[in-house]
Amino acid sequence: MLRWLARLRFVSRTLIRPRRLEDELNRELQYHLEREIEEGLRAGLTPEKARYAAMRAMGAVEKSKEECRDEHHVKFVQRLEAILRDVRFSFRMLGRAPVFSAAMVLTLALGIGANTAVFSAIDAVLLRPLPFPGADHLVRVGQKQKRTADTVITPVRLEDWNSLNSSFQAMTGYYTEDISETSGDIPERVGLARVAMRFFDVWGMAPALGRAFTPVDYREGADRVVVISNRYWHSRFAGDPNVLGKTVRIGAAPFSIIGVQSSMFRFPVRDVDFWVPDPLTPGRNSLRYVGIGRLKPNVTIDQARIDMQLVQSRLAEQYPDTDGEIGVELSPLKDSIVRGSGRSLWLLYGAVSILLVIACVNIAALLLARATQRQREASVRMSLGASRGAVGAQVLTETAILAAAGAILGVLVAAATSFAFRTLAPGMPRSDEIGFDYRILLYTLAVLAAVTIGCGAVPAIRSTRARLAGALAGTGRALVGGRHTAQWVLVGVQVALSVTLLAGAGLLVRSFHELSNVNPGFPLNRILSFRVSASWAELGNVPRVRQQVDGIIESLRTVTGVEAAAVSVVAPGVPVSFQQEFRVVERSPNSDGRILAGSNVVSPSYFETMQMPLVAGEFCSRQAALAGTMSEVMVNRSFADRYFSGSSVVGLHLADAFTSNRVAGIVADARERGIDRCPEPTVYFCGYPAQPFRVFLVRTANDPESLAQTVRLKIKQLEPLRSVYDMAPLEEWVGDAFAEYRLRAVVLASFALTALSLACVGLYGTLTYVVSLRKREVGLRLALGALRRNIVGQYVLEGMRVAVLACVAGLVISVATGQVVTSMLYGISPYDPTTLLVVVFIVLFVSAIASLLPATRVSRLDPMKVLRED
Amino acid sequence: MSKPTDLVQGTLDLLILKVVALEPMHGWAIAQRIRQMSSDVLQVGHSALYPALHKLERQGWIKSEWEISETNRQAKYYSLTRSGRKALAEEAANWERLSAAISGIVRRVS
Repeated sequence: MLRWLARLRFVSRTLIRPRRLEDELNRELQYHLEREIEEGLRAGLTPEKARYAAMRAMGAVEKSKEECRDEHHVKFVQRLEAILRDVRFSFRMLGRAPVFSAAMVLTLALGIGANTAVFSAIDAVLLRPLPFPGADHLVRVGQKQKRTADTVITPVRLEDWNSLNSSFQAMTGYYTEDISETSGDIPERVGLARVAMRFFDVWGMAPALGRAFTPVDYREGADRVVVISNRYWHSRFAGDPNVLGKTVRIGAAPFSIIGVQSSMFRFPVRDVDFWVPDPLTPGRNSLRYVGIGRLKPNVTIDQARIDMQLVQSRLAEQYPDTDGEIGVELSPLKDSIVRGSGRSLWLLYGAVSILLVIACVNIAALLLARATQRQREASVRMSLGASRGAVGAQVLTETAILAAAGAILGVLVAAATSFAFRTLAPGMPRSDEIGFDYRILLYTLAVLAAVTIGCGAVPAIRSTRARLAGALAGTGRALVGGRHTAQWVLVGVQVALSVTLLAGAGLLVRSFHELSNVNPGFPLNRILSFRVSASWAELGNVPRVRQQVDGIIESLRTVTGVEAAAVSVVAPGVPVSFQQEFRVVERSPNSDGRILAGSNVVSPSYFETMQMPLVAGEFCSRQAALAGTMSEVMVNRSFADRYFSGSSVVGLHLADAFTSNRVAGIVADARERGIDRCPEPTVYFCGYPAQPFRVFLVRTANDPESLAQTVRLKIKQLEPLRSVYDMAPLEEWVGDAFAEYRLRAVVLASFALTALSLACVGLYGTLTYVVSLRKREVGLRLALGALRRNIVGQYVLEGMRVAVLACVAGLVISVATGQVVTSMLYGISPYDPTTLLVVVFIVLFVSAIASLLPATRVSRLDPMKVLRED
Repeated sequence: MSKPTDLVQGTLDLLILKVVALEPMHGWAIAQRIRQMSSDVLQVGHSALYPALHKLERQGWIKSEWEISETNRQAKYYSLTRSGRKALAEEAANWERLSAAISGIVRRVS
């Protein structure tokens, strides 16, 4: 240890006082030489011989000095000093053109920041394993069965699988529903998960407070217990450490809190706050649970698949009736959670990477221009003995400093954008896991290095390629400049890409505009929608539920301000459609083609509430709906036109797999499945849906939001144990379609505008540089009497020439890639001429300004001053 | 100065340490003393000596100071440090073992 300290002190002397080291070395060896000469003299050599011997020794002295210097790590220190010198010089050079440098730093900040932000999203959502211990061993366990595409599993079968398999540590299942927490004045809706045994074992995370469930909790007649989420613990109990033993009321029953989940527990269904044990439901046919399993440490998912197949085939032998057609499906849990987001995220990543490339191209062009400008300086250095590497290194240092400054700012931009992600895209799975940590920092450093090399390589090489004699002799004095093709090409590429992006953005903006002008077919802004909690258990007495629903609707109509009320299974505005096949009873089976239509179950007041006028026949009646047989249906105009054009459909009977119903009438179309979709043929079953997932609709005279509280209280009056949730004006739900179009338009527009500003900076920079090279020419012309406006005109033309060519190229690219964006447009063709023309006009206008500035500046030069300076 | 005989670098370190252990001296004097003590067999030149001296200083086994020499001029004097003393003992022991082993083989008659 002491040796290292001594060593460090030794070498630090080299860093701090290098000259003293050199001085001492010289003196030491000088002394040695002198003593040697004296020795030689004393030994009888003549002074000449002595000096000769000394001089012979001198040669070797340099070598000794060199070796001693090695001991002091002088070379290493010198290299460090050279780097420091380069850095200081670069700062000075960048400081000379502060606007430029700032523009470049900002450009890089935007490019690097956006790229890092998207990467952090990709990292959190797609790359990182789920936030559970041993997450890559977590597997979704599904049951393949004939009647449905759903893969929910049966509890009894889950227990069999758990005990018979040899590849899983444990398996469990859960299902989620919404319940009402009734401790407060108004019932509050809470997400609840009913879980099978071994639930906490599979996830590998025990509750942070209290305990997990034990087999005792699952027994018949056991005390009612619940584990609450960390979030609920803070919001309802303010993080009270004595919360264990307190109760919450689920429906009418009190449940005792025995545990609080850790804050790190990220359940796939994010809004669940309560977990309760679910006692075993008997019967091999019930479909109940989402199944999760944890594989044993050394077992792969393929091995597990084979194992489970064997287990299930044994069960099939044992219970041929129920298990014969059942298969087991395993998939990594992460895949089943993030499925879908992958594509859009990678697409976004591609876009920001392209933007970064554009930014780098821009900077490379500007640096290239400057490198050529400083060729003289480089030539001087090289003729004085600097190696090409040293000169190139200096250019790279400059680029590195720019990139570093850009990266630091970019990190801030990235942090802000990460935050924006979480707010803009809450629907994306795992979006709350997006954050900033060392991995992202490493990525930023890697991008930084790539940018430095990408931007700096070409200018560095160009600056060292200077032909010494020519450069020294008189490039600076040349009167007529060269062609600078490389720079103009780079600028042209940027302008072309800007045109393409702008065109895309313009099309999206116009789509959005078209969309907002569409008539939805129902009074979008005067309907309030909400859900009322119910449980599947109520399906035991369906007629009673129907009465209750009818009661709710009738009493809602009595509220002042409410014009009509209804209930529907499918919420308007949601782009989900339950397609069913129908057949006309009165016709022979194969007479027409298949009749496919979307189906919905609605109360008879639905059409009045949605203000969908009657086209033919009559509305279905309340009595028929209350009877429960759903014997009457309504169809919409699209259905009648598509399948019954010419003939009347009223009075005919439509049959599906379960029932046969009379068509009572035809209603007008409404864009219920989304503003951007044409209305589809729909069959409305008239009835009062008993299942929990239905939505209530209330048409108000004025602003729907203003009646929200009144409606809530009314429902509480009627059904004190039920909670009202998801209450919002219908506009908000339908707005989701809007929101998507708007988001896309905003994102692409920001990309396009960024690309355009980058292109402008590039244009401005390149023209400034070109003009500065030809200052003497301009000065000469002005002195000879040329008009200033001719000079301006000439340079503006030079800039515009490139811009026009680039616009043409950009248009070609836009037209060629038109197909790609068609699916995202509404009501406008990707080749819409107005949009394209407007875009071209904008780009040319902006380019003209960018060219005008340097051109005007050069025309204002004082010719005498310019001609006199070097 | 004649070329030094094939001295292994390590043994030069040992010789320097031993000489300096007797009394602090400057580079020239060290070379002279080695020559003297070996009866002119070992002649160390500056190209081997000074790099070795600086290396030993870097390792912390000797330390240097500028003093007035016997010729009334400034010279760099080297002296042994405490860790140098320990190193000297170790190196000397190693050398004894090594040379005994080599002698054992070389002197074998058969």
